[in-house]
Amino acid sequence: MFTLPLDLLLIFTVVSPVIGWVTPKLYRPRLAGVFAAIALAVTGIALYSLYLNVSSNGAIYLPSNSLVAAHLKVDMLSIFMASIFLGLGLAATVYSIIYVEKSTRTPIYYTLILTMISGMIGIVFSGDLFTLFVFWELMSISTYALVSFFRERWASIEAGFKFLIMSAAGSATALFGISLLYGMTGTLSFEGLAAAFGSASPNAWLYIAALFIFVGFGVKTAVVPLHTWLPDAYSSAPAPVSAMLSGIVIGPGIYVIARTFFSVFISIQAQWLPIIAVLSLITMFIGNITALLQTDLKRMLAYSSIAQVGYMLVGLAVGTQTGLTGTFLQFFNHALMKGAAFLCAGAIIYRLGARELPEMVGVGRKMPVTAIVFSISLFALIGMPPFNGFISELTLFTSTFQVNLAWLGIALILNSAISSAYYLRIVRTLMQIPVSEKVEKVKEVPLLMLVPLCVLAVSIIVFGIWPDPLVNFAHQAARALLSFTFVFGR
Amino acid sequence: MIDLTFYVIFAIALYMVGMYCLATKRNMLRLILGIEILINAANINFITFAAYAMPGFVDPMGNSFVCISIGLAGAVSAVALVIVVLAYRHYGTLDVTELRRLRG
Repeated sequence: MFTLPLDLLLIFTVVSPVIGWVTPKLYRPRLAGVFAAIALAVTGIALYSLYLNVSSNGAIYLPSNSLVAAHLKVDMLSIFMASIFLGLGLAATVYSIIYVEKSTRTPIYYTLILTMISGMIGIVFSGDLFTLFVFWELMSISTYALVSFFRERWASIEAGFKFLIMSAAGSATALFGISLLYGMTGTLSFEGLAAAFGSASPNAWLYIAALFIFVGFGVKTAVVPLHTWLPDAYSSAPAPVSAMLSGIVIGPGIYVIARTFFSVFISIQAQWLPIIAVLSLITMFIGNITALLQTDLKRMLAYSSIAQVGYMLVGLAVGTQTGLTGTFLQFFNHALMKGAAFLCAGAIIYRLGARELPEMVGVGRKMPVTAIVFSISLFALIGMPPFNGFISELTLFTSTFQVNLAWLGIALILNSAISSAYYLRIVRTLMQIPVSEKVEKVKEVPLLMLVPLCVLAVSIIVFGIWPDPLVNFAHQAARALLSFTFVFGR
Repeated sequence: MIDLTFYVIFAIALYMVGMYCLATKRNMLRLILGIEILINAANINFITFAAYAMPGFVDPMGNSFVCISIGLAGAVSAVALVIVVLAYRHYGTLDVTELRRLRG
């Protein structure tokens, strides 16, 4: 119905509550998590077969007999985004098996995670804006429930409510924009909209629709004036959920903005490119400077996510194929780096029970593997050469010089320098000699939590040393995005 | 027939009412109603544009969008009400200004 990977994932999602209901009765509480991990792995295999199909035959339309009325469209960009959703989702799920073991509500946890990931894959597979909106709501509703998963803590409830109100208002705004596009053209498929607006001279309603859609989807992406929910939500969610929220949930927002603005709103490109450039500048500066002021580890990482969103917007503001390649590369690498960083922060908080940075002095000496993985991910986030963050930031930096946006590239380098101040502070705190007795008693986390961390760390290094396959993949994704913009002027 | 513009102006006015509600109200239930008003503004747009797609003909696509969108709005408010109930148990009030312990 929805291509093989998405069908499989939806079936697994529907089955998972039953598995979650049965496993505690069999005294195997970890089985629900194992089931979710297997579901994601099987979906990954199905996605690979779809990748082979798309790379040889080009984009797939469903239903296959009609090009314009397609409700699903799978091209290289969709596969690229879906692969990272599944990859980080799998790592976070394996990590969760131990992390949420003590909660009484583990069955619903895995169901929500699978729902969220199927929603995200649905978003990137959608061929029209309304299908996209339905999957968007599927993702959003499960994230609201996941953020307030620890419902006995006031912080989770408060962050969950704030997140829900802002995000639901954003979705409604996006729906309003979509309704305006429907009113102007009578269709919502990306091809139909691109054909209707590609050559026509823009009228005022097109600007209004663009504004509504950017604001609506920008809330989930945390573009700066709309970012206030993010630090609360990320810091009060369970650690694997924070990793997924930060690593991959901002992805659909970036994807939708890229997809609509490079096809539907291509005729007013000259107007929106400078606006996105300015927004990306503000986003990265605000994210990095507020992160400098934090002492709570998870809040610091949350603010650094805002800054990373600013880096991703640089590529959109450049608007060339190199710039978009940089954006998608940065998204992929950010998912690995920030996913690993949040999982490590979660591991430290899991063992230590404290989340303020001053209380963590020396904890790295007691948890060596976690500390090494954490340091690798933080060095990658700064953009140091042997790691993957360097490749994407270099791509973004070089792309800015193609289109006279050098000031934005210089701001990017400057922000990397600012960000190193607080990332290196975390590394220093971990490596100092322990002073408190609480830290002396800390042990390394169980093996099942270390495995996803080590896998993420290894992929950070591998994609840093040997980036060619990933860069080619991102390049194909960017080309797929630009392939149906009829009047590509730059 | 009444001109299309009036309906669109009405929908935009309804959107403004929803945003005003979100910006000024302090009761958590009223905030959820504000979200519902926002979604309904978009729904009215869909219905109107479907009716005006061609003379004498109603586009079924717009109406089916609205059916699905009403269902989605219901799901969002269900989750929102769960969170409101939990918040009421924690704080003993529905006043959203009491939920200011976290600073964004």
